[in-house]
Amino acid sequence: MRTRTMKLAFATAACAYLALAALPTDAIPVFPRKYGFNCIMCHSSYPRLNDYGIRYRQNGYQLPGRENDEKTVLESPAPFAMRITGGLTVDQFRNTAGSQDIDQFQLNGLDILSGGLMGRSIGYFMVYPPQIAQSRGVAGQTGTLEMGNVIFSNLAGTWLNVRGGRFEPAYDAFSVKRRLSFSPYEIYDFPGASGLVMADTQTGVELTGYGRCGWKYAAGWINGSSNPNTNPGDSPVDFYVRGVKVFGHGEGQTAGQRIGLTGYVGQARPAAGARQGFSRFGVDASFNYSVCNLAIQYLQGVDNQALAGAGGDFDFSGGFAELNYLPTTSTVGFARYDWVNSPANAALQLSDITRWTIGGRYYFVDNVALHLEYSRRRQCSFTPGLGDATEAFFTTALDFAF
Amino acid sequence: MKRFAFAVLALAGLVGAVYMRAEGGFLSNGLLPPVPVPFDNPQTDAKIRLGKQLYFDPRLSSDNTVSCAKCHDPRCGWADTTPVSEGVGHKKGGRNSPSVLNGAYVVPQFWDGRALHLEKQAVGPVQNPLEMDLTIPELLTRLNAIPGYAEQFQRVFGEGPTEENVAKAIAAFERTVISTNSPYDKYIQGDLSAMSRAAVRGMDLFNGKGHCTTCHSGPTFSDSRFHNLGIGYRDGKLADVGRYAVTKYPQDVGAFRTPGLRSVALTPPYLHDGSEPTLEAVIELYNRGGIPNPNLDPAMVPLNLTAREKADLVEFLKALTGEPLKIEAPELPK
Repeated sequence: MRTRTMKLAFATAACAYLALAALPTDAIPVFPRKYGFNCIMCHSSYPRLNDYGIRYRQNGYQLPGRENDEKTVLESPAPFAMRITGGLTVDQFRNTAGSQDIDQFQLNGLDILSGGLMGRSIGYFMVYPPQIAQSRGVAGQTGTLEMGNVIFSNLAGTWLNVRGGRFEPAYDAFSVKRRLSFSPYEIYDFPGASGLVMADTQTGVELTGYGRCGWKYAAGWINGSSNPNTNPGDSPVDFYVRGVKVFGHGEGQTAGQRIGLTGYVGQARPAAGARQGFSRFGVDASFNYSVCNLAIQYLQGVDNQALAGAGGDFDFSGGFAELNYLPTTSTVGFARYDWVNSPANAALQLSDITRWTIGGRYYFVDNVALHLEYSRRRQCSFTPGLGDATEAFFTTALDFAF
Repeated sequence: MKRFAFAVLALAGLVGAVYMRAEGGFLSNGLLPPVPVPFDNPQTDAKIRLGKQLYFDPRLSSDNTVSCAKCHDPRCGWADTTPVSEGVGHKKGGRNSPSVLNGAYVVPQFWDGRALHLEKQAVGPVQNPLEMDLTIPELLTRLNAIPGYAEQFQRVFGEGPTEENVAKAIAAFERTVISTNSPYDKYIQGDLSAMSRAAVRGMDLFNGKGHCTTCHSGPTFSDSRFHNLGIGYRDGKLADVGRYAVTKYPQDVGAFRTPGLRSVALTPPYLHDGSEPTLEAVIELYNRGGIPNPNLDPAMVPLNLTAREKADLVEFLKALTGEPLKIEAPELPK
């Protein structure tokens, strides 16, 4: 206990020192550097977007209403930024096969980001986490192009925008890449029997549109859970649609109220045999009151029985409810409850999941945050004789982008 | 003991960070550049002196009661204290009198941008029936009848008064009405004590959560564009169509030119119709995201500003107030 306390004290002091040392640089990631704005122009609390940020993104990385004044990446400062998170992590697993307790300072990841305009109403966005070998103090990561997409904006007024490449699909009503917690949204991470992890970015094409009336839509055609590397002959047959209505003034992110419906149909290949169908249906809402935001997601999944290997169709459901509290531009608190109701399936290692998460972030400047988070996850036993698997996660980390 | 050490270290880190945070901020607006002077109207002392006399002279109005300075009063930030100004015969115009301060940088002129530059703007109010209500021929006749003016025009322009020369002289004077050396100017030149902590926080908000820089950008804090905030929108109608009257583009309905913000604290009431009496009220309007209407600027979203953040923004706007100009009403020619 004394050792843990000393580590915490040292971690906090180190975080404060690093943050203070970083202050003179101020906030300079890609878009703020281009416009000379502060990060909080578009982020309520980096990386979470505010309403203006939502409009900026859906307008293809152009300031809303100022498309004629935009500069391309060739006319702007170098369009590159990096994001790094690291700190003291304590992650304890119990009854979880193959997982090892972590109790050390750790660099959690590095992202290289680029984004901007290539021409009038032709934007792009790229996220590349380079390959980092796992070693003591460094959580390894696989080098991959997590995002790389081009968006053609305002092809028919605001009602038609086309994004192609690898992107974060609109069926994630709440952005996985811009969530405040390090702990995942369990329902988006839940693969079901189809293997579709909704938290993953996808390769394909997505149409989006929106109007002043508050209605929005998105429709996409993506690879889904089919693996072009192992099954290159599997043509993409996964489609989704999403409809959103925003009530009041805003985008439902930090102002106004928002509800959305999402439907997804696709096919996945079981261990053997022909591809089988699966579907997802979700409803979500985002409510704002003063400096509080309540985000609610409910999702149902139905996967063909052939994908589950035995029994009937693999039906599951789940979601989360998250409360964000943003009293100032430099502080944010969050609390979330995640749940998944799933059949116990030993082969797929799937069963009921619950997770509690609570945390907060303090921003020394817009792009340097001290992150504190505690999360506790429980997964019911899917193997007779084995107890529930639990994970207790605590981290105090610096999250910074530059 | 160890826990106590942890608590002290954590507290020290956070207090230090909060202290340092107050010194941060983006500086995207900058100092005013040299005053732009058109090549066909160079500044001369004699021309500026003549323009100053014309600016303060009520004889440029039909009933000899209204000068430029009546509605653009140096004692009121070169603007007016009423929502809409009174012209000849106590007739009221439809829009708030914009400040002449830094008008040299404003392109185009007027709330709806109907004049490209000062030389085009200067004689507009003279002819406006609601303002000075004098035709150009009447104006020139009056000026020719005043020997002091006739002689000065001859000396400055080599000819008697003309519409063009009157405009050039007034424009030359207005190019000397420049607001500068504000606490903000001193701050961005390195004097970090020039602005209060609240004003520095307000500057951060101005460039961030407040979204102000989206339109109030550049050294004058104006993008010189036209935007619809929904001002005057009631019962499905806008009281004033604004820029649309000039361009006839549907997207310009209800759009008005972004005013500069230097010395803005001196010029209440605010907005094109003078409907908001204080800076606090204007910020509250923005905090609500403007007034919803079919043409509302897409940059207008509710801001969720706290009471302290609103106060900080006001402090920053006050820090844009330049040093007082030593310009007094001249003796008028006879």
